[in-house]
Amino acid sequence: MVAAFALTVEDMREALAAAPGGRFFALFDANALIAAIARSGDRDAFAELFDHFAPRVKGLLMRGGTSAELAEEIAQETLLTVWRKAALFDPAKANASTWIATIARNRRIDIARREARSRLSQVYEILDEDGPEQPDETISGAERDARIRAAMTGLSADQYRVVELAFLEEFSHQDVAKRLAIPLGTVKSRLRLALSHLRGKLEDLR
Amino acid sequence: MSTAHRPSDDTLAAFAGGHLDEGLALAVAAHVELNSESRRLVQEFQAVQGALLDRIEPVAMARGVPDPSGQKPANNPIAARPPAEPDMPNVLRPYAFGPWRPIGIRVAMRRIEVPGAQARVFMLRAGPGIALPHHKHTGFEWTTILSGAYEHEYGRYAAGDFDEADAGHDHTPRVDPVEGCTCLVAMTGNVLFQGWLGRLLQPLVRL
Repeated sequence: MVAAFALTVEDMREALAAAPGGRFFALFDANALIAAIARSGDRDAFAELFDHFAPRVKGLLMRGGTSAELAEEIAQETLLTVWRKAALFDPAKANASTWIATIARNRRIDIARREARSRLSQVYEILDEDGPEQPDETISGAERDARIRAAMTGLSADQYRVVELAFLEEFSHQDVAKRLAIPLGTVKSRLRLALSHLRGKLEDLR
Repeated sequence: MSTAHRPSDDTLAAFAGGHLDEGLALAVAAHVELNSESRRLVQEFQAVQGALLDRIEPVAMARGVPDPSGQKPANNPIAARPPAEPDMPNVLRPYAFGPWRPIGIRVAMRRIEVPGAQARVFMLRAGPGIALPHHKHTGFEWTTILSGAYEHEYGRYAAGDFDEADAGHDHTPRVDPVEGCTCLVAMTGNVLFQGWLGRLLQPLVRL
């Protein structure tokens, strides 16, 4: 479809440079930027990656109830970790956003549970890195990520919000006592419903 | 390995999101390491977070791009601590273990030090055919079976299975008569043993 317009990338870049709002999302190639950091410690690539992802990591954390100040610190640390780990990124295993989201989760745990000397982020790293590959794991991580995105477009706005709640918010599970105080009412049943809806979609796509 | 004895979707979602108490998370992590279906679901749930990251409204950073030049490249920093037990899940490697101590006839436990966790975490080993006294929980008792099996009112649980008992569950586990059972348990609240045997055990068993 795009090809029918016979636009070159240069045409698009020119058009977009003239347009307000700056960069066009489709021209942002996170994999290439991470590869450039891994290859040659490319500072410009890091700056571009930072400008794209740091405000999103911050936004995601704030949506989960983290304060702006702490979210800022975690977002900074997340992108610095991306710099350090760039050579370990494997685009076949997961797409860049998924990889960065898991780094953000681990950094959040490290920083929020710093005083408790938490080792939980090491537990996640062990699971991510040496989980034995199963013979039935035939699809690549990149393919899986594409399927997840497809599944999520099928969620209603309401369901999307509930899925966000399940994954982002320091809700009931964070404090077990607090969880027990929550009635097994609307929130939990809607959560189960949204997750099973998502799960059903994922199974259709498998 | 049974397919039914896995954590609920919302527990796995909270695990993938990093929102579980560290002790409870450890019981889930041991199961995830041993169960390919749950591992796949956790990977999918991590991908959901990637998709959420793409669609979230960005919030402007207060400070600019930090200088990364002082950062050293990472080379997988997993603790190279040797396993405390031969068949121990890898996810337990970052933690220190107490000694095995007997808590009854042919039943022993080994505490795992999980700083900052609300749940107490321990390995429990019971000899073949042991029946634990009927008991009730005031909190959570999440168990991953590491070897052997046990059976109670809710079914049979074998190596790799996850037993998600929430407050109010009461059960009478009976250990496999041939294999015995070793499991990893994360527990909040108290265990209330019932019956005369249980009341006798109560002061001895400070789980």
